[in-house]
Amino acid sequence: MKWKMDQIEMYSKAKEYVDTAIIPLTPVQWGKDEKNIINMGEYTNYLSDYIERQFTGRVFLFPPFTYLKFESKEEKIRRLVEWDKHLYQEGFKYIMYITADSEWKIVEKKLPGELIWLPAISTETTKTDQFKKTIQEQVQQVMPLFSLKWQEEPTERED
Amino acid sequence: MSEKKHRVSRRQFLTYTLTGVGGFMAAGMLSPMVRMALDPALEASGGSDFISVGIGEDELTGEPQRVDFNVEIVDAWHTSEQSQSAWIYKEGDEIVALSPTCTHLGCTVNWDANEDYPGNYFCPCHGGRFEKDGTNIAGTPPTRPLDIYDVEVRDGMVYLGQTNER
Repeated sequence: MKWKMDQIEMYSKAKEYVDTAIIPLTPVQWGKDEKNIINMGEYTNYLSDYIERQFTGRVFLFPPFTYLKFESKEEKIRRLVEWDKHLYQEGFKYIMYITADSEWKIVEKKLPGELIWLPAISTETTKTDQFKKTIQEQVQQVMPLFSLKWQEEPTERED
Repeated sequence: MSEKKHRVSRRQFLTYTLTGVGGFMAAGMLSPMVRMALDPALEASGGSDFISVGIGEDELTGEPQRVDFNVEIVDAWHTSEQSQSAWIYKEGDEIVALSPTCTHLGCTVNWDANEDYPGNYFCPCHGGRFEKDGTNIAGTPPTRPLDIYDVEVRDGMVYLGQTNER
């Protein structure tokens, strides 16, 4: 399900089945390297959208968590943990972050949820059909990760 | 001239005028209602366009294979192409194309995707399962079969139309 009005009714009917939140992590920066930054965001959007389509009935795709690229690691983590805590308390037992920004990979262990990091493919140089196909193939490979997580007990959060 | 003028009495004039104006007002109110009532019927005929899925009839086998194709959708003021999929196979002379959308809560099902359930469509979300012909398997969450596409073959190529609930 998506962050849209017409989906919230569906959600309220199927609440007990929707236990997973997806948060895209999207960096923002201007004046330097913005092309790469935009590409990361666009790619992350496509990826999250396609994952949401595979798991519509069990996941809720939230709007991206955005941050300035040069925001300190500690601050970024602190803010993301707030989001995580909020959603966890409101009933999302599994929380997945999706990003193309490799900085999150470095601090992965400090995050309460599951990080999915994939290096961005350029949307500029790849043909649309080829791009779609690559996204599909990548998602096929990411899907077992979800299934695996769902078989495990959800990670407990500290208060 | 003056005699002609008096043929319409004051009472008649008022009746005509009020009927006329009242009629317009009633029409103004009724026409949107009629249009709304008819709208679904009009839409259904518009939605029956067939789209080529880029596969030939002779490429189909008894094993369901996945085809992806693009459909134009209008979302508010934004028109975009959305990719859709179908699981498609041939049974004798009949071509069967199933929607991959799980009838439980809308996840995407995959053919033969779970080792424990070969020869089924499997839903990765809540373990829903369907037979090859799309029939939902009792004891799993879905309560009705997978939707089925209208199929047409033109010049040996497969075209899919709208999906139908069964």
